[in-house]
Amino acid sequence: MRFALLAITAATALAAAENGLDPSAMVKQPTDAWPTYNGDYSGRRFSPLDQINRSNVNQLTLAWMAPMKSVSIKSTPLEVNGILYFTTPDNVWSMDARTGRVIWHYQRESQGDHIGQRGVAMFGDWLYFETPDCHLISLNAKDGSVHWNIELADPKVGYFATMAPLVVGHHVIAGVSGDVTDIPGFLESIDPETGKVQWRWNTEPKPGEPGADTWPQGGDAISHGGGMTWMTGTYDPDLHLLYWGTGNPNPVLNGDIRKGDNLYTCSIVAIDPETGALKWHYQPSPHDTHDWDAVETPVLFDDVQNGVHRKLLAQASRNGYFFVLDRSTGEHVLTAPFVPTNWSAGLDAKGEPRPMREKEPTPDGVLVSPGSDGATNWMAPSFSPLTGLFYLNGREIWSLFYMTADSKPEGWAGRDRNLWAESFIEGLDYQTGKIRWKHEIGDGESTAGILTTAGNLLFTADNEDNLLALDPATGKTLWHVSVGGRLVASPMTYELDGRQYLLTPVQNIVLAWALPEKAR
Amino acid sequence: MTLRFALLLQASFWALFLSIGSFTAFAQGGKVEFDAAAVARGKTQFKSSCGFCHGDDATGNRAPDLIRSPTTNHDVNGNLLVPIIRNGRTDLGMPAFATLPESAVNDIIVFLHKQAYSALHSANVPSDYPVAKLLTGDAGEGKAYFGGAGGCSGCHSPTGDLAKIASRYKPVDLQQIFVYPSAGRRRTATVTLPDGTTMEGSIKHADEFTVAIVGPDGWYHSWPRDRVHVEIHDSLAAHRALVEKYTDRDIHNLFAYLETLK
Repeated sequence: MRFALLAITAATALAAAENGLDPSAMVKQPTDAWPTYNGDYSGRRFSPLDQINRSNVNQLTLAWMAPMKSVSIKSTPLEVNGILYFTTPDNVWSMDARTGRVIWHYQRESQGDHIGQRGVAMFGDWLYFETPDCHLISLNAKDGSVHWNIELADPKVGYFATMAPLVVGHHVIAGVSGDVTDIPGFLESIDPETGKVQWRWNTEPKPGEPGADTWPQGGDAISHGGGMTWMTGTYDPDLHLLYWGTGNPNPVLNGDIRKGDNLYTCSIVAIDPETGALKWHYQPSPHDTHDWDAVETPVLFDDVQNGVHRKLLAQASRNGYFFVLDRSTGEHVLTAPFVPTNWSAGLDAKGEPRPMREKEPTPDGVLVSPGSDGATNWMAPSFSPLTGLFYLNGREIWSLFYMTADSKPEGWAGRDRNLWAESFIEGLDYQTGKIRWKHEIGDGESTAGILTTAGNLLFTADNEDNLLALDPATGKTLWHVSVGGRLVASPMTYELDGRQYLLTPVQNIVLAWALPEKAR
Repeated sequence: MTLRFALLLQASFWALFLSIGSFTAFAQGGKVEFDAAAVARGKTQFKSSCGFCHGDDATGNRAPDLIRSPTTNHDVNGNLLVPIIRNGRTDLGMPAFATLPESAVNDIIVFLHKQAYSALHSANVPSDYPVAKLLTGDAGEGKAYFGGAGGCSGCHSPTGDLAKIASRYKPVDLQQIFVYPSAGRRRTATVTLPDGTTMEGSIKHADEFTVAIVGPDGWYHSWPRDRVHVEIHDSLAAHRALVEKYTDRDIHNLFAYLETLK
């Protein structure tokens, strides 16, 4: 097996300012920066840094800490030229990556769902930030002043935004959230300089277009079909394709007024970043009635077997299944469950799990695994080219699902009531789908993302307030520290002045870890 | 025109939005109270004046669904809806309702906002969920399962701990609680120390690295996990095992049986 990210072929050249970010720098992950939500375009969250490694991880010490006056930090910061940029809903901070001291703070109070904020994107001197009232705001990275501010979608009908946009060439790719009302999802490309919309891809096809036949004909179900684009996608510069996950269809728990597979909800889509044209699609949850968004990071890596080089995409999906696709064509490679599930009658020819009618929510309740919070969720997965394993933060979670609508179902039309959950970190063999190792992290629902590094380490956290470093090959614990709070974000790392830092926001406190000065 | 509900709605709309997430379970936030009499009047008025085209419940028929309409969602105190009702949309085939009494128009608007509010807050199974919807099982089969395949009678008794259980819980809560009574979970540990002595107590904390119990002496004791041998006893272990075996029919039958214990 070999991993390679090929050089960009169609990047838009940008003369970046000295301390800004040239988009072409994101093609190959630099060791001294973390320039995108996932650290690079591949979504692997694998860092080539190895100063902190298996032989010295037990010497990790606190380099600095920064308690923020805010809610829990769910974002992954960017790190560019010694400056960190991180967020909570309504807030962006610029911070000295050496010390944690705040350089500037942007705050804009807004109405809308404040459930979380995942981070910013950067292009040259500009940052891009999404808000609870579904605006996309460009800030000057030097001082936090507003460059431009646009509304992506109407918050009064239920749209909000949490995701970190993705800059690809001369495009800011922005998604939206909101499924308590029956509104259609979409993905937009915005001009980084002007804030003008370049293209919009709609989750639901227009009547007559391919995919429209997966909805009832003649009614309005397709125009109220949901499918939010609320997590950051990935990008292959060689194929020049974006990969994005879409969320659940609406109404959420009732599928009777939207019979059919409901494309392109709960799907992974490949999109041309220049035009927004759909190249291929794959649907992890056809006709979803359990809120199992397929928005978990579509992770990109390459595989060579028997001399055949294959460009792959893998997703551990919220519905409990792990999918591997050929990302050039969308062709199915592998499907395997990573938790016990009870909702599918089996896989179809494309490897898509077919839902069982009798496990759709009912007025008297049905027992389903996983519950609506999912067998995994937005917590970042990781892929290490050193082990060839795919890592995910998962849960076995059981729930009773009720469909409560008495007349025409609208909105959620019901809910599940959780019974119990147990969480774990798993290392999956992407060639077989087999679970190579499973490391239990406690009762309840996990919230921590995963980072792997060339130091042969996997960083994450358990449900008991411990930060963890695991052996990526075996899942054995190599380091831990009790920090008195949950990691509800994903760890990241960067190198500055020759020192590798590991960043772990714990609730509202940013903790930076490094080796002691003398041990380096 | 006094539409107190609308002011309340404006004030609470976003507060409610804050509390409802699409990807994690959240408790419901504050509640908007509607004037029930106005809603009832508005429902009747809507049905007779508007239902033929917009559907009796305003979810659309030959004319659009008004519940998920941007106009309804942007409306404040009837500022957008009243002119449409009064003037109609003749280009779209909607007649003007110029002579409807003002009170009737106000009631219709209260009704529409109530319907939109209900759809917006439908991600919830309320505790007053009707028992009739849940009673689809067979109490006799449930009783047989309780004493047989389910193994419930090994720990529970309909005249002992479960006596009058159906009077103690709302039906939908009872269904969730009998499958997995998380509030009643008790975990104890038997800790074997390096010298071979053991101590048993209720668990205060147990993770991969540390175990802590309250011992028979009433004191808190903790140990690194690699220094002691720990056996954990979970009072709900049988419930967890059963969750993976239940059919939905088993659950509905058991519920029907437990609902007879009043």
